[in-house]
Amino acid sequence: MHASRGKFLFVLLSVAIGVAALTGVRGFSASFRTSLLLRARSIMAADLAARMGQQPTPGQLKALEDVRATGVVETTVTETMSMASSPKSPDPILVALKAVDPALYPFYGQVELAPAIRLQTALGPHSVAVGDDLLLRLGLHVGDDLKVGGQIFRISATVVNEPDRLSGAFAAGPRVFISRESLASTGLLAPGNRASERFLFKLPPSPDGRPGSDTAVEALKAKLVAMLPDAQVTDYRETNPALTQGLDQATSLLSLMSLVALVLGAVGVAMAMRAHLRQRLDTIAIMKSLGARSSQIMKIYLLQTLLLGLAGGVLGVLFGAGVQLAFPLVLPKTINIPTDFLIQPRAIAVGLFAGVLTTLLFTLPPLLDIRSVRPSLILRRDTESEGSAETVGIFTHFVGRLPWLLIAFIVTLFSVRIVQHRWPGHGLALMLEAVCLFAAAAFGPWLAIKARKNPWQIGAFLLILGGLAVIATALSETPLAPDAPRVGEVFSVGLVLVLLILLGASAGVLAALKFFLNHTRLHLPSSLRHGLANLYRPGNPSAALLAALGMGVMQIMTVFLVQQAVVSQLHITAAPNLPNVFLVDIANSEIDGMRKLLKAQPGITAEPELVPLAASRIEAINGVPAATANLRNFSRRMLRSTQLTWSDAPPAGTRVVAGAWWKPDESRPQVAISQRMAERLGVTVGSTITFAAQDSHIDATVVALTSANGQHVFSRADYILPHASLSSLPIIWDGGVHVDPARVSQLQRALYQAYPTVTIINVAQTIETVRTVVLQITYVIQFLAGFSIFAGVVILASSIAGTKYRRLREVVVLKTLGATRGRIAGIFSIEFAVLGLVAGVVGIFFANLIAQTLLHQLNVAYDAHWLLNLGTLAGTAVLTVVTGWVASHRVLGQKPLEVLREE
Amino acid sequence: MIVVDGLRKSIRNGARTVDILRGLDFSVPRGEFVAIMGASGSGKSTLLGLLAGLDTPSAGNVSLNGTAISYLPEDRLAQVRGKTVGFVFQSYQLIPTLTALENVLLPHELNADSDADGLPRARQLLTSVGLGDRMDHYPVQLSGGEQQRVALARAFVLHPPIVLADEPTGNLDTTNGAHVLQLLLELNRSEGTTLVLVTHDPMLADYATRRIVLRDGLIVSDERSPARPEPALSASAAVPVGG
Repeated sequence: MHASRGKFLFVLLSVAIGVAALTGVRGFSASFRTSLLLRARSIMAADLAARMGQQPTPGQLKALEDVRATGVVETTVTETMSMASSPKSPDPILVALKAVDPALYPFYGQVELAPAIRLQTALGPHSVAVGDDLLLRLGLHVGDDLKVGGQIFRISATVVNEPDRLSGAFAAGPRVFISRESLASTGLLAPGNRASERFLFKLPPSPDGRPGSDTAVEALKAKLVAMLPDAQVTDYRETNPALTQGLDQATSLLSLMSLVALVLGAVGVAMAMRAHLRQRLDTIAIMKSLGARSSQIMKIYLLQTLLLGLAGGVLGVLFGAGVQLAFPLVLPKTINIPTDFLIQPRAIAVGLFAGVLTTLLFTLPPLLDIRSVRPSLILRRDTESEGSAETVGIFTHFVGRLPWLLIAFIVTLFSVRIVQHRWPGHGLALMLEAVCLFAAAAFGPWLAIKARKNPWQIGAFLLILGGLAVIATALSETPLAPDAPRVGEVFSVGLVLVLLILLGASAGVLAALKFFLNHTRLHLPSSLRHGLANLYRPGNPSAALLAALGMGVMQIMTVFLVQQAVVSQLHITAAPNLPNVFLVDIANSEIDGMRKLLKAQPGITAEPELVPLAASRIEAINGVPAATANLRNFSRRMLRSTQLTWSDAPPAGTRVVAGAWWKPDESRPQVAISQRMAERLGVTVGSTITFAAQDSHIDATVVALTSANGQHVFSRADYILPHASLSSLPIIWDGGVHVDPARVSQLQRALYQAYPTVTIINVAQTIETVRTVVLQITYVIQFLAGFSIFAGVVILASSIAGTKYRRLREVVVLKTLGATRGRIAGIFSIEFAVLGLVAGVVGIFFANLIAQTLLHQLNVAYDAHWLLNLGTLAGTAVLTVVTGWVASHRVLGQKPLEVLREE
Repeated sequence: MIVVDGLRKSIRNGARTVDILRGLDFSVPRGEFVAIMGASGSGKSTLLGLLAGLDTPSAGNVSLNGTAISYLPEDRLAQVRGKTVGFVFQSYQLIPTLTALENVLLPHELNADSDADGLPRARQLLTSVGLGDRMDHYPVQLSGGEQQRVALARAFVLHPPIVLADEPTGNLDTTNGAHVLQLLLELNRSEGTTLVLVTHDPMLADYATRRIVLRDGLIVSDERSPARPEPALSASAAVPVGG
């Protein structure tokens, strides 16, 4: 036992890392997700919203009452247009009035006011809060009076940030916030007034303070959809698709990436166990010669494994707690992540269970090897037969290869199909195909020999696959992801596939190196030759080791490359592409002047986005008049005010999800329509929509369905047509620009002086929220990828420690032959460095391949970061050299005789 | 030549101190062939290790060719050892990742002062031990007898004045053992080397010109007698047999 202490330490560490990643991540991902979702919810200010174009019917009011009875909190926001004026100046202006109940609104996020007072204080019976552009236009100050409808209100504050600005109505005119009671007193809500009502809903929070679950949100949404057929019901996940998509991806990634660490840990356990059993061959042979049955011996080692798995699991839970505490410390200060993590008993149980199960699964193959240990081994120990598999004749190699090539071909076909179906792009699929075939050719014979020798091993392999799928499914279930079985299935198959590919690639590189070595041998400097030759030391699981390490490198590198590209190239960090100030109602005659003015403004960092809009109404859908058309959750009134725009190509931030865009100069009336709107109207590609604008009618064929990311001006246009179809209509323009937040008020002033009727909506704060969330997600993912690299390092250390005895003998022999410590250190360092370089090359290659494919899907340019890649490569080599020496410490200082005497 | 002066070696075994060598004095003149004999645990392997500078004595000293080696710093000792001593182990101790030729070349690469090419010498030695056609084989591809012959070639590659052998035929069957012994004696004679051989086999010791017998860490007998003629190389011994 004493000699095995080091190895058991590695087993413990391997299990502990996986379990720590799992419990830590599961423990805090819930609260992390909560904090992210709170931000997402704040963009809507609620869990759900239902927007209606008219007052609810008494029946609907009764139904709403029933909803409130279930503990759901509801508040109504009324938005309408009105004239407002200053008692000082006679000219009234159009304002966008927003009436809220300040005791309830907003459910999430908060309205920031200047001076910093509470909304409830600001919206008294006789006071309002206003946008600062209103002050500018009317020449007023905080404290002055404002006349709205028939009432005079005092201006108590200006509105700095309004959480749901992006999801509210995009009305022209400066904002005026008013309480619902005050609005009623103005008499503006007379029947026939075009006010829109937005009902905001908040689900009862769970006992530990977390907001309502996605399942509850879904359920309430379904209820509201049925209850309010005319209302547009949306939940918070739809308000900013880019944000919620990021969240969804992060959620799956979080738990699955911790699973990668767990599996790598289990691979480490298996490798340590194999090395341990190899050293125990004598003991096993002696036990067998004394009459012990294989099953009895296996039970002993199984029990040992179980205890180790359990101990490692407990250690992992402790680590996990440490991870949760340490996590906020490694993040930059600006990324504010809540620190109130709790270790949940469920997370601990799941972690322990997954840890022990994966440990047992992965130690099965080495344990099954016990069956093949012959008692006669104790009689003839001196010729170890580890090298015998490599001396199999060429003929056997070839014959053994054929069936495996066939299987590989079938597997390849399937995997390519899956890949093509899921990610329609060809690069990765072809690459996969090539690598699979190669891996099959390289490993087929070896596997065939293994299988013939020990059919149990094949059973064990299948068991591992099945077990992994079960664990992955179990892990991705519960609040984290609704589509768990599919995720689990895809993930376990994907993980095994990736590991196999990496294994194949590593074996390929090793084989190439060996070919190089065999053809240059005596021409190489002896230290280099010796170091390289050491890679092929018997008992060195080099390809497996490289695959495990390469996996870690690949994961962290992929995450890093994608993050680099998404964060820096899309410039979400500085967001110069994304408009953070919107301009509403620019007259067609003003547009050229507006372009010039924007161009001359300082602080505008990207080409302004300007969208032409033509007011129209929908007369018929597929020939059915609007009055009788079958609509889903869409107010018929909305059909009377639609806005059309034109573009000869999909605009920035808009993606075609079905059909195809027209060619430039298309003269037939065609329309591209957002997928969401298509569902509401019940149309699809090939349907017709009849638009009426002024006196003309346009019978447009739907040729494309689109999906917009909600961050560009064009994403506000539901109907896009060819230019020719709209050329005769009167046009107004909306626009969006990205302005340095510090210069927004300067822009407002300049615009007001030149174009006093243009409304300016400042959403810089909201964009900042999105940016922070994206950054948080990427940091978390990067942190988790660190676990995998750590697991890879432990595997490396464990494997190197497993060959410690061989190294010791080698050191002693070399010393006896006259080698100095420096010389021996050089030889081993070369060996470790080459391990790192090969794992690095393989990992970095696949990381770039995956990043390129992913970025292609995201429409982001891929950039080969040569320096970064080289740096990572060098870093990996340094890491393996350091790890190698840590794992084989004291080997150099050994006195030769001590080892030789032990023979 | 080798001078051993008041050599002692004790090791701690738990709370107990075990005296393995309890004060040995003898010298071996150039060209002599000494067999060190004794029962298991008599201290003969420890003595050989100390002669090669593989360990530090508890007291006393060992001089090789006039250099006192026992208390040299480790790296300096490695250099002296590399140039002065060839070593043959009972279990061959070849580097498994290097070919036969590379194994033989290794002492040359580790110790040679000049850039002189050791290749011809290594090839010639491998040919002389009958492995001229197996130079590119790895140790696992060779039988025990063949591995020990590679080890012999390695021990002699640098023309060392002293060769120390620790039960060199201990792991081999009779035929292969005889072959290896015959090659060892031939090389010893042709290279003019001082040979110290540890064995518990009286038959083997009979080939030596001097026999030192150890018991419980002390020399109980040290006698010179004419050596038996070398064993004849039988035809069957040339055929490699699994060791």
